[in-house]
Amino acid sequence: MNADMMTGNLAAAWGARLADVDYVPAFPITPQTEIVEALSVWCGNGSLNARFVTLDSEHSMMTAAGAAAATGARVFTATSSQGLLHAFEVLYTIAGWRVPLVLVNVSRALASPITLEPDHNDVLAARDSGFLQIHAETCQEVVDSILMAYRIAEDPRVCLPVMVNLDGFYLSFTREPVSLPDPKMVQAFLPPFRPTHLGFKASAPHALGTAVFGGATYSYFRHQIHLASMNALQVHEEASVEFERLCGRRYDVVEGYRLDDAEDVLIMTNAFASKGKGAVDAARAEGRRVGLLRLRMIRPWPADAIRQALQGRRAVAVLDQNLSPGQGGILFQEVAACLYHEALRPRALCSFIGGLGGKNISEGEFRAIFEQTAEAGINGQGIGPILLYTEAEHREMVQLQVLAGGLKS
Amino acid sequence: MRAVRFHGRGGQGAKTASRILGTAAFLEGFVAQDSPMYGPERRGAPVAAFTRIAQTPIRERGVIVHPDLVVIADASLMQDPAAHVPEGVDERTVVFVNSPLTAEQLQSQTSLPGRFTTLDLTGIALQQLGKRTAISALLGAVAGSLIGLGQESIREAIARELAELGLAAPMIERNQTVAAQCYETVPRVAIDVGLRRPTAPVPLRTPTYDPPTRGAASITAGPNSAIRSMAGWRTFRPVLRPDLCNGCWLCFANCPEGAITIKPDGKPAIYYPHCKGCLDCVEVCPTDALTVERETAATREA
Amino acid sequence: MTWQRETFKKIKQIPREEHVLPGTALCAGCGGLEALRLAAKVLGDDVVYVNAAGCFTMLAAYPFTPFKGSWLYTTMGSAPAGAQGVRDALDVLIAKGRLSKEEDLKVVVLGGDGSTYDMALSSTSGAITRKLDFYYFCYDNEAYGNTGMQLSPATPYGARTTTSPCSLQHPSGTTQEKKDIFEIWRAHKPPYIATVAPRYPLDLEEKFARASKFTGPKLFLALSACPTGWLYDPGETPEVAKLAVETGLWPLKEAINGVITHTYIPKRKPVEEYLKLQGRFRHLFEPTRQDEAIRHIQARVDDYWKQVNV
Ligand SMILES: Cc1ncc(C[n+]2csc(CCOP(=O)(O)OP(=O)(O)O)c2C)c(N)n1
Ligand code: SF4
Ligand code: SF4
Ligand code: SF4
Ligand SMILES: [Mg+2]
Repeated sequence: MNADMMTGNLAAAWGARLADVDYVPAFPITPQTEIVEALSVWCGNGSLNARFVTLDSEHSMMTAAGAAAATGARVFTATSSQGLLHAFEVLYTIAGWRVPLVLVNVSRALASPITLEPDHNDVLAARDSGFLQIHAETCQEVVDSILMAYRIAEDPRVCLPVMVNLDGFYLSFTREPVSLPDPKMVQAFLPPFRPTHLGFKASAPHALGTAVFGGATYSYFRHQIHLASMNALQVHEEASVEFERLCGRRYDVVEGYRLDDAEDVLIMTNAFASKGKGAVDAARAEGRRVGLLRLRMIRPWPADAIRQALQGRRAVAVLDQNLSPGQGGILFQEVAACLYHEALRPRALCSFIGGLGGKNISEGEFRAIFEQTAEAGINGQGIGPILLYTEAEHREMVQLQVLAGGLKS
Repeated sequence: MRAVRFHGRGGQGAKTASRILGTAAFLEGFVAQDSPMYGPERRGAPVAAFTRIAQTPIRERGVIVHPDLVVIADASLMQDPAAHVPEGVDERTVVFVNSPLTAEQLQSQTSLPGRFTTLDLTGIALQQLGKRTAISALLGAVAGSLIGLGQESIREAIARELAELGLAAPMIERNQTVAAQCYETVPRVAIDVGLRRPTAPVPLRTPTYDPPTRGAASITAGPNSAIRSMAGWRTFRPVLRPDLCNGCWLCFANCPEGAITIKPDGKPAIYYPHCKGCLDCVEVCPTDALTVERETAATREA
Repeated sequence: MTWQRETFKKIKQIPREEHVLPGTALCAGCGGLEALRLAAKVLGDDVVYVNAAGCFTMLAAYPFTPFKGSWLYTTMGSAPAGAQGVRDALDVLIAKGRLSKEEDLKVVVLGGDGSTYDMALSSTSGAITRKLDFYYFCYDNEAYGNTGMQLSPATPYGARTTTSPCSLQHPSGTTQEKKDIFEIWRAHKPPYIATVAPRYPLDLEEKFARASKFTGPKLFLALSACPTGWLYDPGETPEVAKLAVETGLWPLKEAINGVITHTYIPKRKPVEEYLKLQGRFRHLFEPTRQDEAIRHIQARVDDYWKQVNV
């Protein structure tokens, strides 16, 4: 196996390179920048036969990306945080064009206060745009998911853009072994992009993204985006099988970890799921029957897979690395909604909010989560949202406040 | 509840008419609700507006599907499928049409059910208010009269709504006077106050996936806008007198629509289905070969 | 040096074929549509229009399009970036042999003044700096028209809009001076910039013909006399456009590689004649005449032409 040490960002760039993209519109933002830096070098030295263009903003970058895809090019682009939100209206716009491009988002918490480290409020803000979303746990999964993303996006049953998410710092700047798929294998997995419904050319004029009037017409097209997104569950399944056949690695819409006899299940996404798995191992060693469910595909929402994984459990805890102020955890809401119709639904649903702005989730916090979740299961009474914060962190915060405001501690 | 639906063309004043009616009802102590429906189109294109009047809280919003009274500001709308005039109109509906024809004449020309009444508001406005003014006050007054609101509240509502639009006091007064006259002269038809038949549940369709060639808002059959007729947009039409035309092409060069073509002999011809009646061509014609005529139902058909 | 038209000398050279067909939802008498229709006669059909939100977005309203060419609606702020994506993709696909050269298209941004002067300025500036090979057609109706005529950075001094009403503080409407987008563009050094107006069809056609010889950003600023927003009778569009030019308020000019030529030197009628025609300036004359505001507008025009020195 030809594995190599590689950051998540470099893995993302390799995903684009292996997919043999035609066009890379770019704009820098930490912690994404290395992706486009690598691509600009490759485009410059000919190792990737694509045009690289730096736009004036992410709003422009996403527009150029969508427009190029609408013209018939295979497009890759990447952003993060403020950049994703700066492009927000364009996400909806180009999803409506039904252009199958891939956007990598490197998660980073949103201002204000401005910071650099990750949480998932950026990517989840885009969950209603029509983009599909795949969230990666490892650098290996980043490159593999990008290849799968193109295959799913370009399938005529889908034709929607896909966002592949990786955590800033914890993946973007973290090196670990990545085995790059063989380019021949990629060719077999990913046929050339030859869309039938896109492409501006003299011999086939058409108008795209036209105004519509009346709710019935608008509803039809929004329904189509929904149906296309739902089709992606099946298309993903097919892509998974094929990817495993060619590459030996298997990715499903959700990943279960030590679920078999688990009474209580912790739900996580992205890079910190690795820590969650470690915490499961530690708890298992102490005799707790716990497991972890990692949500990999967020859009379309794999409701059946989630229901199947959770039915009959005692308690389920969702650890959201995001916060919808005034509501709580975003994924908790969605998990809760898809369990409502489950006859064997868990006795308790617990909501924890952690890891905001890259805040660590310590072993001790995981222990607390498992304890409280177990107790909730026994009581048959859900809890949350619980905002994870340790006493030690609080003491440090007070010190900072003293410095900032001269408060008496 | 009484539900009044106004149909007009952008710029004629249907929206303001619905507000005048709403305000008048409000002034009389009724519960009232009025709202316009915006389409894509601007001046000249079909628009609709809705006024509801009741004695108890109104549990409806938006489009009026079962109108008690339909007020049509422009007879050409009755033939315009984009205007949706026939929707929900049945034998009980009172239909007012701004037209020089009588109710009987109109009724014989249309398949629209309903009980008709007419008055030539455009003619009255042209005579007494001037060229191309909106007829909102007159429409509002006619609607008020038919629905049974008092003249005083209509008068006051006209003042309020036209002031809101920035009209000067003398113009408002002129509108009030002409509106009062329309209020008096419009032939009344009693509104049916009987209960409406209950509606049956509609069959629902489960949407299915279409390939993106159809499932995205994309148009491949273009250019196809020219299949639409713009004839209804016109209040006036340009008429060409070939004997006066010197063939200078200025009209052709200045028509925003491209409704004027050049014939093989180098002379212009107006293609009326494409003409919106802006009269830019008349303005630029150096020889007065283009003149202006008021549009009628008969000329529009031609 | 007087400017000479080389291709379009006579009205009868205006191509008869239409490329933007009738049947759209734009207002009767729309000056911007008139300018676009004339422009398209030179641009032809091998075009993709990349549109920013505005009145012209209504041109292609499902299921109808008036264009023989293609169309892509983007957003209010990023049509030039859309043009970038389309142009780049066409280049790449042609270079890779996936598209034949005959399939190539001209890329034309179609945006209003609000988009052009403010929201899309970053996107435009970027595109010019990248030397993007495209046309930019700005139809300038001097307000946010599609939303009902609010003040835009292109609204001229003294105009009343729905967000610059005449108030006690500002009895003469807005005191803002129209942003000089021509000079902002010129500072970017594109090969070709021109102003055009309906009612001057030969000047317009000639400029599009001249622009076609340049590779790179080609920018057109079209006076879009607007009966609905400027509050005049639609039939007066030619007259309003004519007076805008004849008073000197809307100079017809071009800049080739930065060198400006005025393509028409007006005799310069008093601005009053132009202002008087339009409801948006009526408050300058009724109920009391606002001489100072009118003088201000006249002085601005006089200053401009003094600098031009023709
Ligand atoms: C981001 C964004 N903000 C606001 C709007 C609402 N909007 C649509 S068209 C328009 C006016 C555009 O003005 P202009 O560019 O001058 O074009 P016009 O409408 O005059 O044709 C506005 C403000 C929008 N579509 N997008
Ligand atoms: S009235 Fe207007 S639309 Fe009709 S032919 Fe004349 S210029 Fe064209
Ligand atoms: S402008 Fe008048 S004279 Fe000239 S071609 Fe048209 S109709 Fe004839
Ligand atoms: S509002 Fe003005 S610019 Fe917009 S379509 Fe109407 S006339 Fe043209
Ligand atoms: Mg504008």
